[in-house]
Amino acid sequence: MDVWAQLMQGFAVALTMQNLMWCLVGCMLGTAVGVLPGVGPAVTVALLLPITTKVDASGALIMFAGIYYGAMYGGSTTSILLNTPGESATIVTAMEGNEMAKRGRAGPALATSAIGSFFAGTIATIGLTFLSPLVVELGLKFGPPEYFALMVLAFTTVSAVLGESTLRGLVSLFLGLAIGLVGIDNQTGQARFAFGVPQLLDGIEVVTVAVGLFAVGETLYFAAKLNQVNEKLESIKGSIWMKAEDWKRSIGPWIRGTLIGFPFGTIPAGGAEIPTFLSYAIEKKLTKHPEEFGKGAIEGVAGPEAANNSSSTGTMVPLLTLGLPTSATAAILLSAFQQYGLQPGPLLFESNSALVWGLIASFYIGNVMLLVLNLPLVGLWVKLLQIPRPQLYAGILVFATMGVYGMRQSPFDVFLLYAIGLLGFLMRRYGFPTAPVIVGMILGPLAEEQMRRSLSISQGSWSIFVTHGISAVLLGITVAVLLLPLIAKLFRRRQPAG
Amino acid sequence: MKAPAGQVAVAAGVTLLGVLILWGSFYLPTGGGYAQVGPGVVPRGVGVLTIVLGAFLLREAFTGGFRGVDEEAEVHLPMDWPSFGWVSGGIIAYGLVIEHLGFIVSSTILFVMVARGFNSRRWLMNAVTGVVLAAIVFAIFNYGLGLTLPTGVFGKVL
Repeated sequence: MDVWAQLMQGFAVALTMQNLMWCLVGCMLGTAVGVLPGVGPAVTVALLLPITTKVDASGALIMFAGIYYGAMYGGSTTSILLNTPGESATIVTAMEGNEMAKRGRAGPALATSAIGSFFAGTIATIGLTFLSPLVVELGLKFGPPEYFALMVLAFTTVSAVLGESTLRGLVSLFLGLAIGLVGIDNQTGQARFAFGVPQLLDGIEVVTVAVGLFAVGETLYFAAKLNQVNEKLESIKGSIWMKAEDWKRSIGPWIRGTLIGFPFGTIPAGGAEIPTFLSYAIEKKLTKHPEEFGKGAIEGVAGPEAANNSSSTGTMVPLLTLGLPTSATAAILLSAFQQYGLQPGPLLFESNSALVWGLIASFYIGNVMLLVLNLPLVGLWVKLLQIPRPQLYAGILVFATMGVYGMRQSPFDVFLLYAIGLLGFLMRRYGFPTAPVIVGMILGPLAEEQMRRSLSISQGSWSIFVTHGISAVLLGITVAVLLLPLIAKLFRRRQPAG
Repeated sequence: MKAPAGQVAVAAGVTLLGVLILWGSFYLPTGGGYAQVGPGVVPRGVGVLTIVLGAFLLREAFTGGFRGVDEEAEVHLPMDWPSFGWVSGGIIAYGLVIEHLGFIVSSTILFVMVARGFNSRRWLMNAVTGVVLAAIVFAIFNYGLGLTLPTGVFGKVL
């Protein structure tokens, strides 16, 4: 079957009344949590995982995906109107966008980011549509050693390439791997690191970890450290529509941002941060109005916003085609698939083609919904920003504890949640990234399985990972990613005066 | 320059975690099965590498501090211990009373304590908001998503 036929089949799934509703719910929830500080898409999807027992797979996954890319739209609203960015991927938007808002140009800033997000999201979905079948072809040739190598590469790029410190990224990754070890080994039935605690035999739930790190950790940090910091909410004055000149200045950045963002999402490097910074730097170079940068240049909003949206859609390529999550939310989406006994990867495109293509088709629909939700209806979401901080964070914690306790009615989980929250607080305080923890705990057990499967093929010989061509190349890239910065640093140290 | 104590403690903690993982893995078999790789192999690897990473962190902490972490800036953001305590207390109290008082009462206690942690002293208003929010959440998750939440003292009334 060719791509068109499959995509049409997908639209048939996504356009049912029920799935349209799930898509809308997802987009609305996504926008809301994107707008609200202190809660993000990862926590939201984690807290909603229990619905997988009630709702069919396509409905639930369409909604979860909607939350994921909807949060990208919502996040920019907060960055523009509030001087504290909601998500790391919108830091750049916050710089120029907030300046624009201060000068009474909040409307055009919101418009260029919403339209740019729509443009980028749609182009990236087209990319996803046509690239996925090709990656699936490739993925079908992979055996356990190749998958293991690919996962090791994903681990490295997610933790080492992103963020400000390779070392701290790796520490976060290993925390995640350690958490993933807890529980019964699914190949031998051996209990690992459960310390005789029955609640630990089932392993530590991703819900507890995600909610602990992101919601509880964030609340503790905000209460203890940022309570004194003043925030100023800018209001939207005048029309939100863009003038002809705004359009002219936005189109180029949208296109370039989209082209930069998508590949970054697609290669297992993940993260929407780097492409936004790249896009910002490029726009600053190319602009005819360099004097406006830092004082509210529309290019500095349009480009990065397009880049973060296309890269977040791009992360769906490795997730769906190879089962590789490259961001925290993608990792939780992977565990949503697992709740249904599904494993994303090339085989899923054959065995559950209606589901996968229905999900991809829903991206096209969701982006249209989000454009409407975030442009004419933006005033609605701005109201969310007016919720006072004490009640907002108190409410977030009510949801958080309820979701974690409700899983199996065990107070143990609440205390575990608090412990992980403390960990999250420390990580935030000492600059450790949190996403690698989630990716590590979910991808770790899968990588271990592939590793042990490979070794059973090779009858215990570790050479299998280097004698298989693709696996050797992937592991080689991993080593290079880890060592190149070190070598470069040594080089610079040897030649101090240049 | 003196090494920042907090960073040294964090780095030591990571190293200690690695030691614990490695120690725990000695109780797990490494061989057997078709794979000839038992459940103890990966934990050993994770343990050893965590120790190595912990050692690198220690070195950073003692040679000018974690790269990119601005301890100077942290001085201007002092820990607000009372706030930290109120939020922590709220979650711990929730874990202690949830089985006895039920979801709505426990959530209200949590709500009021967290709000106090953010310096809101409108106790009555927060309590009312907490009850209303908890009731809505209870309805959505209990009836909508099928999570079973304890009803506690209100169970007889509802």
